[in-house]
Amino acid sequence: MTAIATEPLLEGRSVTKRFGGLIAVNDVDFVVYPREIVGLIGPNGSGKTTLFDCLSRVQPIDGGRVFFKGVEITRLKPHRVAHLGMARTFQVIRVYRKLTVLENLLVSRQWRGESLWNQLRPSHPDTEGQARRLIEFLTLEHLTDSPAGTLSGGQRRLLELGMALMPDPDLILLDEAASGVNPTLVETIKDRIRALNTEQGKAFLVVEHDMRFIADMCSRVYVLNYGEKLAEGTPQEVMANEAVIEAYFGA
Amino acid sequence: MTVLADVAARPRGSTGRKIGLGLLLVFLVVLPLGTNIEGQTWVTNARLFQFTQMFMLITLASNWNLTGGFTGYVDFGHAVFFGLGAYGTGILMTQQHGIQWPFWAAVLGGAVVAAIFAVLVGFPTLRLKGPYFSIAMLGTFVAMREIIRVTKPVTGGGVGLTLPPYLNRALFYYLTFGLAVLVVSVMWWIRRSEFGSSLIAIREDEVGAEMRGIDTTLHKITAFAIAGFLSGIVGGMWAYQNTFIDPDVVFIESRTVELVMMTMLGGLGTVAGPVVGAATIYWLRDVVWAAFFDWHLIVEGALLIGIVLFVPTGIVGMLGDRSGTSLQRLWGRWLGSRDRPGAGPDPPRAAPPQPQGPQGDAGDEP
Ligand SMILES: Nc1ncnc2c1ncn2[C@@H]1O[C@H](COP(=O)(O)OP(=O)(O)OP(=O)(O)O)[C@@H](O)[C@H]1O
Ligand SMILES: [Mg+2]
Repeated sequence: MTAIATEPLLEGRSVTKRFGGLIAVNDVDFVVYPREIVGLIGPNGSGKTTLFDCLSRVQPIDGGRVFFKGVEITRLKPHRVAHLGMARTFQVIRVYRKLTVLENLLVSRQWRGESLWNQLRPSHPDTEGQARRLIEFLTLEHLTDSPAGTLSGGQRRLLELGMALMPDPDLILLDEAASGVNPTLVETIKDRIRALNTEQGKAFLVVEHDMRFIADMCSRVYVLNYGEKLAEGTPQEVMANEAVIEAYFGA
Repeated sequence: MTVLADVAARPRGSTGRKIGLGLLLVFLVVLPLGTNIEGQTWVTNARLFQFTQMFMLITLASNWNLTGGFTGYVDFGHAVFFGLGAYGTGILMTQQHGIQWPFWAAVLGGAVVAAIFAVLVGFPTLRLKGPYFSIAMLGTFVAMREIIRVTKPVTGGGVGLTLPPYLNRALFYYLTFGLAVLVVSVMWWIRRSEFGSSLIAIREDEVGAEMRGIDTTLHKITAFAIAGFLSGIVGGMWAYQNTFIDPDVVFIESRTVELVMMTMLGGLGTVAGPVVGAATIYWLRDVVWAAFFDWHLIVEGALLIGIVLFVPTGIVGMLGDRSGTSLQRLWGRWLGSRDRPGAGPDPPRAAPPQPQGPQGDAGDEP
């Protein structure tokens, strides 16, 4: 919608990913413009997480090309993509269980290829201040020094969101970041995402099964089904789409 | 000194602990003076020699822990760096042609060789996960022994090398003591640094760490090279002190096993663990040797099994430091999971059941 005449932040051209005979992502084109919140929905197993894995480069891309900020990232290493300013959360939670909540955040800060020598000291006070503000926002203050392995599932989701925000990325991929989080906090998270979007111009690509979340947050939505792009448009358009309804609720 | 005072405790050393540690250090500094006291029989040159051995083991175990404990790459061939340091020092000090290097320069030379080798061997082996890495390093270690054996013109082959003899127990005592203090302080520093947190992040979830911007290859190789360098120094000191090296006295498999056992007993992935473990086993062995001379290997083997089964997080873990890890945690995900390691994007961590020792990580998962 507001994406006129700007360079795309993220662009995928005919992205394809196979697992043996299974085509998990099939020839999908997509684009995310700066300052956009875009949804990615589809039934279970439709390839959303796999597409994220391809973007963050832990899965090799079998076909097509991906550009982020005009740089081709199709074959880049995962940490390089992160340095370019893309961060993500994970459907299957990945926190560092033996590090404390604070340490988890500190170690997720913006690295951007700085020398190892500079890393041979404790984190900078500014970094720590930023981490503590995130902890406060995520309402995890009482757990600041607890090992992440002792957190509940929902608390770990929150921590993960913090870890994705920590490097101050330009694009954040959220893979069901709100599932298992209590409803009031989900509202807070939505507000925070909106604030990050409007105040700091951060873009989001959001996978979520909760349609209200998608409808509230996203200006555009892509729908995947069996790895193929089934539809795209505003949340209203997509939810009125016959094919989408059929894919979700069966014939 | 304040740096050292904190070593014993990870989060915050209590004042009591700091004082205790300070007294222990003072005791170790003045101990060799005891040989001058008439009439006492405890502080002998033989006793200083024992302490020297213990300091070297503490240093080696701490180095091993950098890759094995912090980074989670359990190295069964770590003694290869000790061996390269020993041979590097030996060769440089006994050159037939050209200048024979002084001891200190030769030790540094040997350690540099060990560090370079760590980088070279780390590139292929540190891609392997869990037990696969361990076995590759064991193979590297055995291969190096045979390489040393067949490169006779340089290494003396099976005959070995005889270094210029130098007998000064107090000097070796202070050298190894100083090195141990330095290395443990370095480990303590690394643990507090961003580099150290990154190593632990790699251990806890390597794929996640990479996606969050940590250059995992660079970090792993650097840690490996630091450990290799420091163990190379120990090897050089050992060679000079022993005055004689050959492949069979330098490259002993049990030396690595010993380091693994010591670190596990003390606490994998903690700064204090290798220190406590190495000291305990060194003195325990004295007792075990005296009591069951013919059996000591069996007793030690049983001890290792006992640690794995009953105190997976080691002495430090038992004392309440939960920041360490255990072999079950490091390997369980490879041995317990039906997924082939490295096969998918979603590593082992995706599989919820984390094997836990009987009294190990109980408090870990809610
Ligand atoms: N590592 C893998 N190896 C083999 N097949 C895989 C792998 N990862 C995903 N798949 C398959 O790819 C397809 C897409 O999976 P994906 O996880 O991307 O779905 P999703 O859209 O995220 O589903 P959900 O909404 O349940 O999270 C599935 O059929 C899945 O079985
Ligand atoms: Mg998914």
